Amino acid sequence: MLSAAQLQKIWLLSDTVLYPEAVSFMRKLVQDQDCDPLPASQVAGLLSIAESMKYDDLHRFVLHQRDRNWPPSKRDIKTFYTALEEALSLMQRKRLKEEFHLVTGEQGRSVSEARQELDELMALLAREFIQHLAAENGLLAAQLDDERKKQRMSRR
Amino acid sequence: MNPEMKIIREVNIQAENFYGEAVKLGDHAAYALKAPHRSQMTNLENIAESAFKATDIFDYIKKQTARFSYWRQPFPENKASNAGFGESLKHYLEHDLKDKLATICGPKRLNIGDKTDEEKQERRLIYLLLIRQFIRQLVVEYEYQVSLGSRKREA
Repeated sequence: MLSAAQLQKIWLLSDTVLYPEAVSFMRKLVQDQDCDPLPASQVAGLLSIAESMKYDDLHRFVLHQRDRNWPPSKRDIKTFYTALEEALSLMQRKRLKEEFHLVTGEQGRSVSEARQELDELMALLAREFIQHLAAENGLLAAQLDDERKKQRMSRR
Repeated sequence: MNPEMKIIREVNIQAENFYGEAVKLGDHAAYALKAPHRSQMTNLENIAESAFKATDIFDYIKKQTARFSYWRQPFPENKASNAGFGESLKHYLEHDLKDKLATICGPKRLNIGDKTDEEKQERRLIYLLLIRQFIRQLVVEYEYQVSLGSRKREA
């Protein structure tokens, strides 16, 4: 069970670090790499797994989506999950301890207790990051849609 | 004056200062959403009142903007910008209110730094108070405008 201080720290990180990073993440894919935004069905699946609280399940899902044999028309989905897996892995391997300083590291805890804490922290951080990704993804998709409609109208 | 009272006083001073902007965005909301989408304004206010994070409010605005084209509708009375309601609101909260936060936390006012976690948490809470105040004002103006519109139609 995470402490109130850890939760407050996660809220702060969500506002100050994860939100701007999620916005940059999506804009880089859609605006710089010309990827299509993630389809609504993918967003719904990802959000539902992210809300399930278990980080292992979420990570397995992301790996599975990354490694699927997507047809060429859906290659952007693979690009998205590849980038997401990298971001989450970096968060888990390095940033959680070295940058976010969220791990309590109390003396006398068993390995499984320490592991459970890491899992809960990662689940919450990943959920925050993915919620911000989904919101930005929707906004970019709507903007693209409006632009395409305008282009079609001007061609008529 | 104790620190909590100082914060409330500063937030109220800012609320007086940004009232005009909240009214403009409330008018924009009334133009774009009109009376039938009143529940979306109520939801916005509820989310702002209950959120632990400013980004929960931003995400809600983004979701509504993505989902409903009327959230992306520009306001003809605003000649300076062609931005839709959602985008204008998000921009104001993310940038203009952030600047006001920096002002009231500065050394001449509340003198709250931005280095330690404690200071950052305090700033986060004040930011939420500013957002709540702004959205309350905006929703009041929205309600006023849509009720005015319906009364005009009845007359």
